[in-house]
Amino acid sequence: MFRKICFIWLLLTAAASAWSQDYVVKVNGIVCEFCSYGVAKKVSKLPFVDHSRHTKGVDVQVKDQLVVVAVSADARMDKDALFAAIESGGYHPIDLHKINPDGSWSVYQP
Amino acid sequence: MKLLTGLTFLTLSGSLCAHQPVMDMAPRWDGGYGIQTRVEHFDDVTTTWVEGIYTWDKSIRATFKLPYAGGEVGDLILGLPLKYYTNQGAFTSNWSVTPQVQLPTSRDGDWDTGVSLSYSSETPTFYQLYDLYSWGDRTGIDINAGFAFPGDGGGMFALWDISALASEEGDRIQTGPVFVYFKRNMMFRAEYKHLVYEHDSDWSGGFFNVGIGFVY
Repeated sequence: MFRKICFIWLLLTAAASAWSQDYVVKVNGIVCEFCSYGVAKKVSKLPFVDHSRHTKGVDVQVKDQLVVVAVSADARMDKDALFAAIESGGYHPIDLHKINPDGSWSVYQP
Repeated sequence: MKLLTGLTFLTLSGSLCAHQPVMDMAPRWDGGYGIQTRVEHFDDVTTTWVEGIYTWDKSIRATFKLPYAGGEVGDLILGLPLKYYTNQGAFTSNWSVTPQVQLPTSRDGDWDTGVSLSYSSETPTFYQLYDLYSWGDRTGIDINAGFAFPGDGGGMFALWDISALASEEGDRIQTGPVFVYFKRNMMFRAEYKHLVYEHDSDWSGGFFNVGIGFVY
C-alpha cells in the first residue's frame, strides 16, 4: 500500500513538473473583452505560451483587469516580450506575478 | 424619386457623420482590422452600409463607409480617426478627432468633408460616448450612455441614445434604446430611435438600425 502511495505521489510530482506555469499581469484600462480581443490575440502569438491552457494560452479577466498567461513547461517567461505584446494590443501592463500552486501570487523573478 | 430620396437621406443621416458603433471600441491593437455591415431604416428609406477599419496604432486608424440604397451605391466616405487614450485601473477613455471626406462614387455624387470630435469612457459596468460632428451645413451631436454586463468571453451593453441634428434641410432630435451583444471578436448592435422633435423638415417615423461587425 505504502509503495502504491509513493508511486502515485512520484507520478503526480513528475506530472506537475511538466505542467505549464501560469503568470498574471495587471493591465490598466482593460474593461471589455471585445476591446481587449487584441491583447489575447497578440499574447497568444508569443512563442513561450502554452496554447493548450485557457483560450489559446490566455485568459483575460476584465472584472479585475488581469491577463493570465500560461507558459509552456519547456519555455521561459519573457517579460519584455509579454509587455510589448500587451502594449501592441492597446493597453498598459503594470506588473507581472507568478501564480503559485496554492493560488497565491509571487513577484516575478527573471 | 425613390433614389433621390435615398441619396438625400444618405447625406443627412446622422450615422453618416457620427461615431462608428463597432469601430469606436475596436480594433485598438496594432495591425487590427474590422468589417461591419448594418441596415438602417428612416423616413421610408432603407440603407445598407458596409464599413471597414484598419488600425496602425491605437491612436491612428483609417475607416471607410459605403452606403447602398434604392438599388444604387452611394458616395464613399473615408475617415481618419485620431485618438488619445487614458487608461487607469478599471477605466479607459479616449478623445477622438475624425476628419472625413466623401468621394463622389455615386451616379450623382458630390465631394464633401466633415469632422467629428468625440469622447468616450468605459468601465466594466458603464459606457458613455459623446460625439459632436459637422458635415457641410449640418451639425449634430450623438450621445450614448448606459450599462455594460460583462460575461464569459463576451457581454452586453444596454445603452440609451440621444441624437440631435441641425441643418438647412431641417432640425431633429431622436432618442431611444441601444442593445449591443459581443462575443470574442463579434459585435451585434440593434437600436431604435424615436423622432421626438423635428423642425422645418419632412422627416417622420422612427429610426431603426441593426448591424453586425467582426474584428481581427
